[in-house]
Amino acid sequence: MIRLAGVGLRLGEFTLRDITLDVPEGGYGLVIGPSGSGKTTLLEAVAGLAPVSTGSITVRGQEVTYLPPERRGLGMVYQRYHLFPHFTVGQNIGYGLDRHRMSVSERRARVREVADALAIADLLERGVRRLSGGEAQRVALARALAPRPSILLLDEPFASLDPSTREGIRRELERIHEQEGITILHVTHDFDEALRLGDVVAVMALGEIVQQGRPEEVFRHPNSPFVARFIGAANVLPGQVTRTGPAGERAGTFAARFTSSDLVLDTIAEREGQAHAVVQPEDIALSHTPQASSARNQFRGEVVAVERMGPLTYVHIEAGRRLVAALTTASVDGMGIAPGSQVFATIKATAIHLM
Amino acid sequence: MTKPAPWIQILLAGLGAVLVLFIVGPLLRLLFKASPASLAEALRDPEFSQSILLTVATATVATAIALVLGIPLAYLLARREFRGRRLLQGIVDLPVVIPHPVAGLALILFLGRRSPLGAPLAELGLEFVSHVPGIVAAMLFVSAPLLVSGAREAFASVDPRLERVARSLGDTPLRAFRRITLPLAGRGILAGAILAWARAVSEFGSIVIITYNPKVASVYIFDRFTSFGLNAAIPAAVLLLVLALLVFGAARLLEGRELR
Repeated sequence: MIRLAGVGLRLGEFTLRDITLDVPEGGYGLVIGPSGSGKTTLLEAVAGLAPVSTGSITVRGQEVTYLPPERRGLGMVYQRYHLFPHFTVGQNIGYGLDRHRMSVSERRARVREVADALAIADLLERGVRRLSGGEAQRVALARALAPRPSILLLDEPFASLDPSTREGIRRELERIHEQEGITILHVTHDFDEALRLGDVVAVMALGEIVQQGRPEEVFRHPNSPFVARFIGAANVLPGQVTRTGPAGERAGTFAARFTSSDLVLDTIAEREGQAHAVVQPEDIALSHTPQASSARNQFRGEVVAVERMGPLTYVHIEAGRRLVAALTTASVDGMGIAPGSQVFATIKATAIHLM
Repeated sequence: MTKPAPWIQILLAGLGAVLVLFIVGPLLRLLFKASPASLAEALRDPEFSQSILLTVATATVATAIALVLGIPLAYLLARREFRGRRLLQGIVDLPVVIPHPVAGLALILFLGRRSPLGAPLAELGLEFVSHVPGIVAAMLFVSAPLLVSGAREAFASVDPRLERVARSLGDTPLRAFRRITLPLAGRGILAGAILAWARAVSEFGSIVIITYNPKVASVYIFDRFTSFGLNAAIPAAVLLLVLALLVFGAARLLEGRELR
């Protein structure tokens, strides 16, 4: 369990303000934010490597705010591996075991066990300078895991790896996380990682957490245009909300019209005036002919680009505003959608998220 | 960048060549001026061999003191941001711009028998002026900046995150320094120490003022030159030059390996 309560600090050009974050025991917490938002500093504060000026940090029920890093029992993995260049792979992995009262054979067994788990047992005698990026990151993970830390801190652990290597290490990390029940706090700028791995996700900007919650929830309901753009919700439209009808089913809501330049959408709103609308690409349906339905927004558009991403295809259309729709590649091919095609786009009123 | 015209290239190369010749020329001339017989004779002169021994010993002691006092300072300058860091850096570099006889006079005033620091030390039997410790003090004064800046650069080249990883793996700050940073900076520190040692060996201006006798090699050569003339000073000068070149070569070799 990791609990940060009102943590603030200033370190060189980085400032953290009022960081409150909870990762449950055995949970997987993700902090996402653009570079320079203070993510690494946050990890270093948890590790005890950056002095905290306000607030408190609790790890497994014990307050550690002013404890030096060597007494916190945390594992730390940086993006660029930071292996000790004057040691072999085996010596790197065993580094944190030196303080544990262990016989030479126990130590060797633990190093081998961790190396086996990460598929690097055949590298133990090698120097670290000539390892590939993926190998080096496995060694860095093994080094952090060897002393059996209760918490693992990961600073962009996949960012320097090519996609196939990344996938392999990510799977192993998931497996270790499940098997060992280790609590993980992971910072990244990649929201896909958060969706895949995280139980809890916090979005950081300029040293503050601007939104946190379950990844699905943050993805569906970003609370600001910044979060929406950052997590890659493709359609973020600035515009104006005007009331059109009586109060809706839910208290405080009413039927409204959202206008964003030439695009006009019927929706449900809580307040009038300036707003941003977020529409997930999966919530935009495309068809050649108008769909018969009154509860839906329907408008004409012209296809300007088709982006194939394996089984999913993103179709960019011009409809007064640029919109992106996500369709299965099979249906795009079936409909013969190509740049220049005229289509009808349909969006459910409830799929328009105003903020 | 476009290449300059051929005649400009030739001119620039020519200018550089003049300077290189100006450095290499006198040294080569000196090296080949001494006959093997005169070198052997110089080596047999007990006063000369004693001066070489004294020089090597005092330079080694001065370098050892500079290491002990300078490494923590170099680490501080490389790793910590604090108010007055630039000022401290400037103070450490100061001896480089102070004329050496001026440094010698200042050291006499600071360490002489009648100075506030020199008096109690003399009571304890540690005398500087006209004694061997004076040579060490002068050498330390002029050579410490080289060691500190070499060690500072060596520390700065070690990623501080390596130390942080070591801390997260259970090391105290001292242990992380000893196991990670010091070994990784070791080669650079050694190169700095060798340069400082060579600088101490070549020091003349401040030593001649604080301790003329016993004579270090440079003072010995000066003494031969003023008492007996140019030819009498040449063999000793050649031997000291060879020693300096060997040390310089060793330092360059170390630095080159670091770049690998």
